[in-house]
Amino acid sequence: MTTPLVLGVLAGAVLSGTSLLYATLGETLAERSGIVNLGLEGVLLMGASVGFAVTAVTGNPWLGLAAAALTGGLANGLFGWLVVTRKANQLASGLAMMFFGFGVSALVGAPHVGAVITGLPKWRPAWLGALPWVSASTLFNYDLLTWLALPVALLVWWLLFKTRWGLGVRAVGESPAAAFASGRNPALMQFQALGLGGMLGGVAGAHLSLSLTLTWAEYMTAGRGFIAIALVIFSKWNPLRAVVGALLFGGAEALQLQLQARGSLISPFILEMMPYLLTLLVLLAWGGSRRLAAPAGLGRTFFGSD
Amino acid sequence: MSELALRPFLRQALRHTLVAVAALAMFAAILLVAGKDPLRAAADTCRSMTTVYGFSELLVRMTPLLLTAVAVALPSRLGLINVGGEGQLYMGAWLATAGALWFPAAPRWVLLPLVAAMGFLGGALWAAIPGVLRAMKLVNETIATLLLNYVAPLIVSYSIFGPWKAPGSSAYPESPAYPDAALLPAFFDTRVHGGLLLALAALLAYWILVDKTRWGLQMRAIGGNAEAAQRLGIPVAVFLVAGLALGGGMAGLAGMGEAMGVHGRLRQGLSPGFGFTGFLIAWLAGGRPLGILFMAFLFAIITAAGDTLQITQGLPFSVVNILLAMVLFIVLARRPGGAR
Amino acid sequence: MKKHSFVALLLALACFAGRAEQPKLVIGAVYVGSVNDYGYNRSFHDALAQVARDLPGVKILEAENVPESATVEGIMEGMIQQGAKLIFPTSFGYAASARKVAKRHKDVAFEYAGDGDASRNFGVFFGSTQIAWYPMGVAAGRMTKTNKLGFVMGMPIGYALGNVNAFQMGARSVNKNVQTIVVVTGGWADKAKEAGAANALIDQGCDVVGMHVDSPATVIQTVEARGGMSIGFQSLEARALAPKGWLTGLGFTWTPFFTKIAQDVLNNRFRGEAVYQGLGGMVAVAPFGKAVPPDVQKLVNDAAKKVAGGFSPFVGPVKDNKGNIVLPPGASVGADQMGSLNWYVEGVVGKVR
Repeated sequence: MTTPLVLGVLAGAVLSGTSLLYATLGETLAERSGIVNLGLEGVLLMGASVGFAVTAVTGNPWLGLAAAALTGGLANGLFGWLVVTRKANQLASGLAMMFFGFGVSALVGAPHVGAVITGLPKWRPAWLGALPWVSASTLFNYDLLTWLALPVALLVWWLLFKTRWGLGVRAVGESPAAAFASGRNPALMQFQALGLGGMLGGVAGAHLSLSLTLTWAEYMTAGRGFIAIALVIFSKWNPLRAVVGALLFGGAEALQLQLQARGSLISPFILEMMPYLLTLLVLLAWGGSRRLAAPAGLGRTFFGSD
Repeated sequence: MSELALRPFLRQALRHTLVAVAALAMFAAILLVAGKDPLRAAADTCRSMTTVYGFSELLVRMTPLLLTAVAVALPSRLGLINVGGEGQLYMGAWLATAGALWFPAAPRWVLLPLVAAMGFLGGALWAAIPGVLRAMKLVNETIATLLLNYVAPLIVSYSIFGPWKAPGSSAYPESPAYPDAALLPAFFDTRVHGGLLLALAALLAYWILVDKTRWGLQMRAIGGNAEAAQRLGIPVAVFLVAGLALGGGMAGLAGMGEAMGVHGRLRQGLSPGFGFTGFLIAWLAGGRPLGILFMAFLFAIITAAGDTLQITQGLPFSVVNILLAMVLFIVLARRPGGAR
Repeated sequence: MKKHSFVALLLALACFAGRAEQPKLVIGAVYVGSVNDYGYNRSFHDALAQVARDLPGVKILEAENVPESATVEGIMEGMIQQGAKLIFPTSFGYAASARKVAKRHKDVAFEYAGDGDASRNFGVFFGSTQIAWYPMGVAAGRMTKTNKLGFVMGMPIGYALGNVNAFQMGARSVNKNVQTIVVVTGGWADKAKEAGAANALIDQGCDVVGMHVDSPATVIQTVEARGGMSIGFQSLEARALAPKGWLTGLGFTWTPFFTKIAQDVLNNRFRGEAVYQGLGGMVAVAPFGKAVPPDVQKLVNDAAKKVAGGFSPFVGPVKDNKGNIVLPPGASVGADQMGSLNWYVEGVVGKVR
């Protein structure tokens, strides 16, 4: 029995969108505090490779996941030291982190390429699995990270908008000087946001290697870090909208593959362009209102001299 | 800023060299941790670069880097951030290929300049899109150029698997070989090609434009304070689009150089990150032409070393990215108060 | 200042470091991926490692993850500088660079895994897998319950199309209702897309999946997790990945050929030529999995014997999946023409470009 296209795309979207969502949530935290990390791709790769390596060596994917989260946090910590403590240019620092991530992940992952690992276990509640089309598809047969994706998004939203800490982070993102004047420690808050965001990034990378593909290969994130950066803007720096965005972009990639499996007549390369063009179109369509939603502190970095 | 005063120039050169040495030291430490022999690595690398071929390879690597660095440096004078060098490079190669394939019978003195112009145009148009979006305050150019980076190679892939697929027995997806008249001449039986001259000319043109012309002055005014520049009557929007387009054109020339000078046909994998490397070079050099020359050469050495290390030490090539990152970390950490 | 001169001195000393002991033959191999990929690259690595064990004084230099771009030329030159006298550029896309380097170094032998013309010091070889997929199709055609076979393809090059065509024709020979669905990932090693492609095929109802990508690992593991059956490719070792669903597969056995070439180079008898071997030579059938009953095994073995004996399904009349006759009666496709194949046989669901 074939899965209808919609369900197939949805299933693929969730699988593919999980790591995108975590990466986007992490970057949202960072950008809410006024910092752009263009090197997110590098953080993802480091998380994926360390997670895979630790899992291959210990045989325990949970240890791998923890190691990946730790790695992401540390990587963002290094990034934080550059841009917060040393006040370095954020974009250049980000690209430096990206190259750093390429190299470190290659080094860490090289001895483990081809290792067969037990990935993160998957669960599906029996009553869901009994539903007509669901049983044959991958729907609702998820690992912990995918099950927790929505709750984590809610958590990040709650953190940012319903806690004193989140208020502080956003205040720093709007104006570090004003935040300082009101008694907060901008640098500390930025480090906290970066650290937490980095952990989410590491987790995002780990999902790719420990669940989706069960392998490690150099550059395996294939630009997801940059898509996540676009997604942050797409979702107006709001974690809940990021969920929709991640589904949309995971879906675009899944759509391309599912259409092919149905004998679609569109060239696979044209189909592959869809996620990126879609991002641009969306940014274009919502461009005006977007800028007002951005944390003002991002202004100089992102929007140049206006 | 003029380069004519000697002492600041020497000081700069010294600073650059110190950075290089510090980065190499940190890299050696990483090699040690990875269980490799840094001295042996240095010896192997030295040896590979002191042959005529080895040195010529450095020049071959440098050529696209010079151009992609200018692709970033030029728009940066206007305060624009161009991280789209990759995509602009591919589109330059693509449009140049179109020129070569549509006019195969043209003589060299017509075809080569035509192909170069189309290479420039390809990159310029690709960058103009984000330029217009930015000038209309619709989309930030950092993101727009980034996203288009991924679309351009797909356009190239589509073309070489489809309408431009080379007929014949080879299964490999690539365009037909360019007519000889479209190829950049090579020198002395090495791979160094005319693209190097183009790159150096572009670097010179960039310096003259920004430092010696009124346009350059206006560009820098916009880069300093766009609002004030607008009030002074400078058509900021036009400059923004033109600036990005010019930068993109430089990257397009790099693509054309790789296609017509190194490969001889259009195929995938033209750029192993030249665009991003160019961004870093431009940034490290502070946008200054001589700095770009020096840094491009340094990066050429580093990437060449990576290849040698792969063969002799069994290190994944990508490890060289760590060295690149180290160079950047050192520079980034040293400049207090944020640069530009 | 002192720091500078110290480092400079060290570097200078390093440059004059002594050279290591000389082996009899240095072989260089360039791979587009990692040798641990359970697939394409591993097959070459394993064969060369065996050659190094069998022949005395042979040293192997390897470069992995070398992209199909301008850098590969520098890698090969570097290997020659390290004394390599025999180079194996193992990926299709290395052709142009390899030929250039070969022209420049007439005293170095090259064996390129692909197609094209051979020259004095440039040999061309490959395992003809296309027709070997026919018995694979027989296995799949008999084992499928949904009559839908899936195929994950890296890039739509002629050889891959040939593999799918033979697969479908083999399946068709034992099952009139079968069809093969092809999904292209766009690259030889994009793991995330391979997982997505495999999922999409299973969603479409395919229960047997084959592939032509560098490493079969991700596809096989994804299919296994969804309860499907798989047919492996590139390396015979891949069956370890799918204890339940493995049917059979194809792998490359390069060792005898590589040994002969190495010996030729050692004895100064190397002459570049085009060598393609199919089943029985460079290509072998992997052992059957537990899921395959004895009668199917016999069918597959018979088909394999037929192929090894010279049978080819690529003999006209053959129609493509758009209804056109692509091979008129009597026409055929030879091993050296597989590379320029550009059609799917009828029963294949997919678009060539």
